[in-house]
Amino acid sequence: MTRVVSSLPTRSRSANRKKSGVMGETTGDHVGRSGLQAFLGALPFITPSFVGVTLFLVIPVIALFVISLLNYSLLTPATAAGFENYINIFRYDDAAHSLGVTVYYVLLNIPLQTIVALALAVMLNSKRRGMGIYRILYVAPYLSTPVATAVIWYWVFDPKLGAVNALLANVGITGPQWLSSAQWAMPVVALVNIWQYVGYNMLFFLAGLQAIPKQLYEAAQLDGAGPFKQFFRISLPLLNSTTLFVLVTGVIGSFQVFDTLYVLTQGGPGNSTEVLNLKIYQVAFVDFRLGEAAAMSVLLFGVILIFSIGQFLFFKNRTTYEYSA
Amino acid sequence: MTGRALSARSAGTAADPATSRAGLSAGGRAIRIGALYLILTVMALVFLVPYLLTLFASLKPIGQIFSEPAWIPPKSLYLANFRYDFVSGGFLRYLANTALVTVALTLGQVTFSVMAAYAFARLHFPGRDKIFWLYLLTLMVPNAVTIIPLYTMMRMGHLLNTYWAIFLPYVLGAPYTIFLMRQFFRNIPQEVIDAARVDGCSEWRILARIIVPLSKPVIVTATLIAFVFGWNNFLWPLIVTNSQNHYVLTTGLANFQSNMNSQWNYSLAGSVITLLPLGVIFAIFQRHIIRSISITQIR
Repeated sequence: MTRVVSSLPTRSRSANRKKSGVMGETTGDHVGRSGLQAFLGALPFITPSFVGVTLFLVIPVIALFVISLLNYSLLTPATAAGFENYINIFRYDDAAHSLGVTVYYVLLNIPLQTIVALALAVMLNSKRRGMGIYRILYVAPYLSTPVATAVIWYWVFDPKLGAVNALLANVGITGPQWLSSAQWAMPVVALVNIWQYVGYNMLFFLAGLQAIPKQLYEAAQLDGAGPFKQFFRISLPLLNSTTLFVLVTGVIGSFQVFDTLYVLTQGGPGNSTEVLNLKIYQVAFVDFRLGEAAAMSVLLFGVILIFSIGQFLFFKNRTTYEYSA
Repeated sequence: MTGRALSARSAGTAADPATSRAGLSAGGRAIRIGALYLILTVMALVFLVPYLLTLFASLKPIGQIFSEPAWIPPKSLYLANFRYDFVSGGFLRYLANTALVTVALTLGQVTFSVMAAYAFARLHFPGRDKIFWLYLLTLMVPNAVTIIPLYTMMRMGHLLNTYWAIFLPYVLGAPYTIFLMRQFFRNIPQEVIDAARVDGCSEWRILARIIVPLSKPVIVTATLIAFVFGWNNFLWPLIVTNSQNHYVLTTGLANFQSNMNSQWNYSLAGSVITLLPLGVIFAIFQRHIIRSISITQIR
């Protein structure tokens, strides 16, 4: 769900273009009420969510920075640490390694996932019989419990009992040790995540493709442009903002990967799949060194923020993005 | 194939001007359509086979799992794995815990989000836009980042190892849901609301009797988002609970699987137990689900 949450609000398209922008016009008008009265009237409506947002989102962000400056182990009283934690996570906890592993995971994951999602969307973008069924089937992994599907994939890639190596054995290949191999573990994890998210991303491309006016393709056909030319000259350029959106939300989500890795590798073999979020979990809740873990969280937050702010700035100016139809 | 798919209007009719213009014979066209369905079907198998193999394995005794390839279907309806999981594995408890926590989370999140969205969409009060901006800003806060401070808070509140801890951070409304609902509520004609006000309806009554019934699609969307999130949530329950009494399906299954080693019959049956309720919901709401994801992306 994190990926849904990170989609930015200003991405409204044709359907809603009259009221572009985040704030826009508001209709409900209470002329003649005093400000205080209006405020008291609205109070019961917003209080629960305001308490929730403040207590569980705003305060935690501030608290995160504070904890990252403390020696805080739960067992002993917290003491001020200054920026020590930020130095220590690189010196002793190999945060740089975890960051590198995370980036490696993102690079294995996102490009392939995006290309497959786009290809599936192009194939499903027709009114032929049965397309709805395929669409549903492709989205199923996205809604499935990641822990449960990870258990399934763990078995599928089991070197001795798994279906993958059984299939390979049938054609005379001895399959690798997959998740117990430092070389193969990460590609397998990336594959599982691609499987999980590709259908979801496909839906975004499908919506983007369906918003492109058919006349453009008809005109191109009259000019003698073939399917590939049409795809590269019309579809791909007009899907620009969809592609960017899919890429950025994919990257933001991938930086937070946890569930599948927890089940599939626990960061191993060695520390070859120890992504940042898994490392944070281990430092915080296995070693109980919350200060260092918080410093790593700040690091993760910083990286993600670069992407979300970039995305926000990009889409902010595109709220009324519209094709001439 | 690509071209046909893109032009999107050739709905399989025999006389297709687009095709003839592209200079394809009827035979070439049939081959292309055949190839399209072939690729789509192979992809569908890739997506579905893991589930199918799991279902097979969950219905086999361990001996068969070891002795025959995974793609051989079970010979009989062998339910002992499920019996073991429910009776000895604790899954009955996990299922009940998950249902309890997820329903509480969903009811609260949807109700409180509806209320907030109504205020932001339809009421005028000082500070409204500033508060709404604060909500929007929190969309940039990733879940992973709040885990440590939230854990510290739960610990201070003596809420660790309680059901409350599992759903409390999500039950009071979700900014993204509030944003979606606000967009929807704003498109409801003002005249309808004005008429109700003239008739002396309170804001609560307007919300319950007019806005909510008119906003079913977005409310179904919000319900599905909250439910799937609650059901699948893992990291947070993993951190705030450590007793089997409070395990939900995700934490229970992860723990069970690491204890079971290669007794795949039991852990795969556990996966089936975890996924099956979602599958049922998925089957019932399939149209809503696709539309839900469309709503969340377009608005």
